[in-house]
Amino acid sequence: MARIAPGHRDNDGKDRHSMATLELNSIDKSFGSAKVLHDISLSIQDQEFVVFVGPSGCGKSTLLRIIAGLEAASSGQIMIEDDDVSTLAPIDRGISMVFQSYALYPHLSVFENIAFPLRVQKLPRRELEAKVNKAADILQLSDKLHLKPGQLSGGQRQRVAIGRSIVREPKIFLFDEPLSNLDAALRGDMRVELSELHKQLNTTMVYVTHDQVEAMTMADRIVVLRDGRVEQFGSPMELYHQPRTRFVASFIGQPNMNFLPAKVREASASGITVTLPGDVTLSLPLNGTTVSTGDTIDIGLRPEHLRLQDDGQLEVHVKILERLGGLSITYSDVGGVRFCAALDGASPVKEDTTIRLGFDPAAAHGFDAQGNVLPRLGAPDFQS
Amino acid sequence: MTDVLSQPGATVRPKSAPRRLSDRAFAVLLILPAFAFIGVIIAWPLVETIRLSFTDARLGGENYVGFENYVDLWNSRRFHSYVWITFYWMFISVLAKMVLGLIGASLLNAAVPGRALFRMLVMPPWVIPIAIGCIGWLWLYNGTFGLLSGVGQRIGIFDGAFPFLAGKTSAFYSAVVTDVWIGTPMVTLFFLAAMQGVNRDLYEAAWVDGAGRWYRFRRITIPQIMPVIVSMSLLSAIWTFNSFDIIFILTQGGPRGATTTLIIDTYKTAIGNFKFGEGAARAVVIVVLLAIFSAIYMFLLGKINKIYGVK
Repeated sequence: MARIAPGHRDNDGKDRHSMATLELNSIDKSFGSAKVLHDISLSIQDQEFVVFVGPSGCGKSTLLRIIAGLEAASSGQIMIEDDDVSTLAPIDRGISMVFQSYALYPHLSVFENIAFPLRVQKLPRRELEAKVNKAADILQLSDKLHLKPGQLSGGQRQRVAIGRSIVREPKIFLFDEPLSNLDAALRGDMRVELSELHKQLNTTMVYVTHDQVEAMTMADRIVVLRDGRVEQFGSPMELYHQPRTRFVASFIGQPNMNFLPAKVREASASGITVTLPGDVTLSLPLNGTTVSTGDTIDIGLRPEHLRLQDDGQLEVHVKILERLGGLSITYSDVGGVRFCAALDGASPVKEDTTIRLGFDPAAAHGFDAQGNVLPRLGAPDFQS
Repeated sequence: MTDVLSQPGATVRPKSAPRRLSDRAFAVLLILPAFAFIGVIIAWPLVETIRLSFTDARLGGENYVGFENYVDLWNSRRFHSYVWITFYWMFISVLAKMVLGLIGASLLNAAVPGRALFRMLVMPPWVIPIAIGCIGWLWLYNGTFGLLSGVGQRIGIFDGAFPFLAGKTSAFYSAVVTDVWIGTPMVTLFFLAAMQGVNRDLYEAAWVDGAGRWYRFRRITIPQIMPVIVSMSLLSAIWTFNSFDIIFILTQGGPRGATTTLIIDTYKTAIGNFKFGEGAARAVVIVVLLAIFSAIYMFLLGKINKIYGVK
């Protein structure tokens, strides 16, 4: 398969891969009196695939547009490869961007759409055709070059949009929710294709999505944003196993983490003892130095960490059962909150019955009233 | 159900249900008023005009004269010059409206503070009655009291009073200017609406790729709004071709026929000189010319829509 290496070419014709690092220093952004980004500082490594994830309105797209140069930051500094690009026009930053709407020119053929940035650069015809054909080859669009975007499927349009950013050979690729207009099956395929593309191009990529599955599956590192602030920045596994806040814990993982209100009985650096709804008292390996006896905290349990067990710690009444084949998902009501368990597909569970669920205490998470984590003592260490 | 149907004498349709028209009959019923309206307002006058054009109808009466009126027009050098003036008038005026409309719409579409106000300020020439606007322009063009003549003299362009509507050339272009002044706002608003319909992401994508303002305008805005440009120029061409009030108020077709377009000539012949037969023949010529013109345009519109990806 053809290969396009990013970076500049030296006089001897060899690819010299440039260090496409991206650094954000104290980025603030306000629209009028509404402050949408608060003091964002991030350091993204060369060739890293970083995903900004968060609910709508968290500022992730705005942050991406600031990196692209489509919006100006109210204050702060953007460094690409040690150059301050904060005030440069998008074209001078060495970035390219793929839009959620694809932003294809409906009146131009696929070829001309991909060639657009090269036409702007007034590239000689021969060189232009070579680059467009190469990109089309990578994206399997070679037989579609003469068509108009209106004649393509959603996935093909997405590829054309990616093609248009590939031919630029940018230092950094920016993606703004590129898969959200596709149906679920196609989205899965495109996720794999994008990951492959990242491997192939070996370029820094910054990707915005509201879909935690996309974030978990594609990212080297994930930035979880909430209300314009970085909630946590780390690898997918780190976010999954060591969420720093209740928000991150609830956002990462599918189905969502359960949170049970619990009363603290005893708390110390070596563990805590809590009482869960239903008067279940448990000792959990969580660092309890930030809480004290009598406090109400949230105990987080991931649905996939629960199992059917005769002497399990929790007794729940199954209200709804979803059979997915490989998994059986049960929904119950525990202490007034919805409680979900992802059990083995073959589990002998029925709706409107009472079952006992067990879990490994080491898999439990704890969050204080402010939503901050009580560090897990036995968590696998994914911090690098 | 079965026992009801099995009763002797029971009908399938309950008695209380109203008789229903078939969909087709109902559709015909709905469009009948429109047909009647078109018949009275358009078809009958059109047929009557065609009939009149083969007569020498005047106030006194009418006789069938065959193609005499048309032959006269064919041989009339004066009529030929009116045809030429009409097309020239149409071409210049529509071109100016399109160009100014594009410029105006682009400016109004730009993200500048107070653009809502500017959008409102564009409207008056189009909103105020044409006669009122024309009377304003009559004053502006007046040689003795007019603003333009006065300013021209003070800055040294004119040696003395310059009555714009008195010279053949200046009268023609003065009429064009007024027609453009009145016709541009609507064109501008249509273009503006079309421009606002263009996906903003297209501009941002082009900007990220390094395309400057002019490049984006040329390769995105113009192609994207091309169908509107084409249909607007067709409509504008027809309106300008038949534009009567502006010319008549400003110059009545003068001086010495310099601003006499076909519609003015037709009016003067039929209504001014009571030569209804000859006037009708002129009207028929206008219809035929516009029909040919529109047919060519529709053909072009189809082509352009194909090129610019409107499926």
